[in-house]
Amino acid sequence: MSAASVRPEERQLNLVLALVATPNGLSKEQILRSVQGYAERAGGDRRALEKMFERDKQDLREAGIPILTLGAFDDPDNNQDSRYTIPKTEYELPDDITFSPAEIALLNLAAAVWSQGSLSGAAQSALMKIRSLGIDVDEPILGFAPRVSLRDPAFDALRTANEKALLVRFAYLRPGDAAAAMRTVEPHALLEYEGRWHLFGLDHDRGAERTFLLSRISGAVTITDAQFPPVRRDGAAARARAALDALAASQHAVVEVTPSSEAALRLGRRGRIDDGVLHLPFVDAHVLADELASFGPEVLVREPAELRELVIAQLTRVRDAHMGPAPLAPAAVAARGAAA
Amino acid sequence: MTGRQRPLLAGDRLTLMLTLVPYLIEKGPVSVADAAADFGVAPAEMRRGIKVIAVSGVPGDGGLYLHNDLFDIDWDALEERDEIVLLTHVAIDRSPRFTSREASALIAGLMAASGVPGVNERGEVASLVQKLAHGAVEAPAELAIAVGQVDALQARIADAVASGVQLRFDYRPLDGPVERRTVDPVRAFSSDTSWYLRGWCHTRRAERTFLFDRITDLEVTEIPAAVHEPSEGGLFEPSGDDVTVTVCFDQTLTPLLGAYLDGAKVSTAAGVSTAVVRVAHLHSLKRLAARMGGLLVVLDPPEARRVVAEWAAAGLARYD
Repeated sequence: MSAASVRPEERQLNLVLALVATPNGLSKEQILRSVQGYAERAGGDRRALEKMFERDKQDLREAGIPILTLGAFDDPDNNQDSRYTIPKTEYELPDDITFSPAEIALLNLAAAVWSQGSLSGAAQSALMKIRSLGIDVDEPILGFAPRVSLRDPAFDALRTANEKALLVRFAYLRPGDAAAAMRTVEPHALLEYEGRWHLFGLDHDRGAERTFLLSRISGAVTITDAQFPPVRRDGAAARARAALDALAASQHAVVEVTPSSEAALRLGRRGRIDDGVLHLPFVDAHVLADELASFGPEVLVREPAELRELVIAQLTRVRDAHMGPAPLAPAAVAARGAAA
Repeated sequence: MTGRQRPLLAGDRLTLMLTLVPYLIEKGPVSVADAAADFGVAPAEMRRGIKVIAVSGVPGDGGLYLHNDLFDIDWDALEERDEIVLLTHVAIDRSPRFTSREASALIAGLMAASGVPGVNERGEVASLVQKLAHGAVEAPAELAIAVGQVDALQARIADAVASGVQLRFDYRPLDGPVERRTVDPVRAFSSDTSWYLRGWCHTRRAERTFLFDRITDLEVTEIPAAVHEPSEGGLFEPSGDDVTVTVCFDQTLTPLLGAYLDGAKVSTAAGVSTAVVRVAHLHSLKRLAARMGGLLVVLDPPEARRVVAEWAAAGLARYD
């Protein structure tokens, strides 16, 4: 095999094998001199070779492979005396983990929830690790398949930052504000609630835990180098859920709904109807106002006043934008900040 | 098993090879096609992976790779019969632990699946979550899906899908008359917060998608559902009533519009996109436009603009 033809994954595979097989660890010198993929280049640029090794270590750690550094005191990753090893017990799936065919069927269903996106790949590779344990199972009949959509462009960056416990910065447009404002947040949890993804985390500008709707993040999310204590994530998803549940329990809309209309059909299951009046718990007045406006004359919001005003304002904008001859495309749409 | 093939990155390829070794040890000789299908990758990707494994190994004391320290495969079997036969393996024999992301993807998926009627009857989800966390290299990420409560209709449809019996129900399409339908259920699925039933409709003699919310007077029969040829289909069925309209919208709405933009020509300038889209009915367009609150505006035809303006005005009139 010539040096030029060695792909990163080939070199990394040989690095894993060498480090798993060594009980006492290998020094950087030994690795660069003897492991396939490095050894072929040993006569070349030493600094490039060392850089390659650092990158490979990083890649392996990202792939969830635990590399232990032995005998290093000051700077574990740069000490020439350090020895590297992959402890087999920490590398491989524990012996006591087994799955029954019924459990595998359930895990298949769980993986299918991610119909697309990066988590679909992660779920599939986890399933393969489970299947390699040698449990043969017939494909279950997935009569009922919940699907979660991941269409928020901010999702992947926030998930990565959450995994690595890194601070993020993003522009957040609060409804009613004229422009988006920058926020610096510790991403503690991501939660899908009522079909929408929420970020829950410590807002550094406010000094308190806050919930953000991913759809209101405008532009790209910046992942900073600043770490926050990972322990702060513990149980955050449950706290986020409890916060949203409490919010929904604390506020409800009172809406007159035309009997047997589309609105009655779509909203009826979510609330309690007394005498043609629907009592509907809600989390976010702006999100609910969008939905209620879509029903046009089929609904009349009685309470709360804020929601009523939002629906009126929204319907006014829609009516005005569609009266008379069509304007030119760019001018037809109100700027996002002003419109909300 | 998955039927889908996903494109691989370098990190995925490493994980594939590290998982492939224990799979081959466990399974014994297997065709490239079967292994590729099991891993959900292209056969060429599988061949590439096995060829890399076959020349990899552990360096010996002198820094040399000796025969005993290398993987070996039956090269003739691979080249002549496209079959993978692993002859020797070194260093690893079990799969790597789950990454934090892998474990959290399955755990959050389990939470969503636990809302499915009949899934968590014996409390198996909690013990599975524990196993996944135990098998992960780090604590799983905080990723969660909050599921709503299962109502009686969902539970009855779930039963019918599982036991494969015919359903009868009244169905009310958007702005159309109620009609009694007889349906052989194929599967039920959710999209956002709504649940849909896919099934073969005897009334229409074709496969159709039904929104749970539009179903009333459900009757679960004891007639076995017939098996029909599966047909592809999404949430929207093309029909003769389709209308072509020109809309412009704030570019940031693009992900929200999803299926509406399938196959549409979209052009964007100064943060505003313009698209020519087909909609099933002006009745659905007016509801969409009202929901978007001026961030999406119908430009053409004038008739469509008028329908939207009147819908919003009728809504406003209720507050006079």
